[in-house]
Amino acid sequence: MSRKILLVAMFAVLFGVFATSMIELETLFNTYGKTYFLEHGYAETGASNLVTAILLDYRLFDSLFEAGILLIAVSGVIWISKHDVEEKNAKFMIDKYKTPDLFITFARLVYPLMLAFGFYVIINGHISPGGGFQGGAIVATAILILYYIDANKETNIGLIVTVEKILYLLIVLMASISIITQGAFFTNFFNPSADADLKAIYLVLLNVLIGFKVALGLWTIFTAFLKEGR
Amino acid sequence: MNPILTFIVILIGFYGLATSNNIIKSVFSVTIIESGVILLFLNLGNLEGGAIPILNDQVSYIVDPLPQALMITTIVIGSTVTALALMLCIKIFHHYGTVEWKEVLGRKDVKS
Repeated sequence: MSRKILLVAMFAVLFGVFATSMIELETLFNTYGKTYFLEHGYAETGASNLVTAILLDYRLFDSLFEAGILLIAVSGVIWISKHDVEEKNAKFMIDKYKTPDLFITFARLVYPLMLAFGFYVIINGHISPGGGFQGGAIVATAILILYYIDANKETNIGLIVTVEKILYLLIVLMASISIITQGAFFTNFFNPSADADLKAIYLVLLNVLIGFKVALGLWTIFTAFLKEGR
Repeated sequence: MNPILTFIVILIGFYGLATSNNIIKSVFSVTIIESGVILLFLNLGNLEGGAIPILNDQVSYIVDPLPQALMITTIVIGSTVTALALMLCIKIFHHYGTVEWKEVLGRKDVKS
């Protein structure tokens, strides 16, 4: 009982500290960064979606390690997972006879639409809401529906992880091209004064690479959990 | 939404982390803390009256795009960390036959 009283007291202290720090929030927060992105963001990066401009140009260094952490976590999940990578023909947890026929029929209809929508979100990441990470999640969801349609589907996890590693290397290489053309790390490889449509080529390429990498990573995690649950 | 409300969400997560007996519930508590942090950061961008940060001709006042870009990182990392933790839970269950903290830590063959 005394432990819970101590816990509540600790939470009260934490809450007080936070509430007093929030009083000064109005003076701490300023709009210089926002104004800068609003005025120069499109001209400097060629992306009218400012979140993509920050992710893929201003703070590309962060995004690279974000993709790297995804790769490391996928490797960890597979390594912890009980079954070997070489095992191909695992029986999955999903039983075909328990999945309703209605779901299977509609999944076949919805599957190409989901895939097309995922590609749309990936490719238009620089002019509309979305981008590589979000579109990759949609594509991964579309792929996972296939496991409900065909329960005996074979998956070669080793091949998927190898392709994912190659894609990560390609992302790093694509981000490093700018050291040759621009003399600076991790930015657009076109000149900042170039036309905005020309600079969008770089954004689309990087979005597509990141999207496929994220889709493959989430697919691998799902497959590892399926094999574990049998 | 007030930032203080988001801190209440974070405290709920801390409470679950401190009092839960089940390992899977602890993983969920970490997820709740993460949701609170995401809400807190999205609050910091002058939400009132701002348009979405996608530029076209009409837009003159937008929300701050920087916290949104940072929170994509948090969401991706959070999902992968949750997947890794749940996989560890499965391995603990296969090895010890239980996912209760006290039963796992109280075993003789575990050096705590």
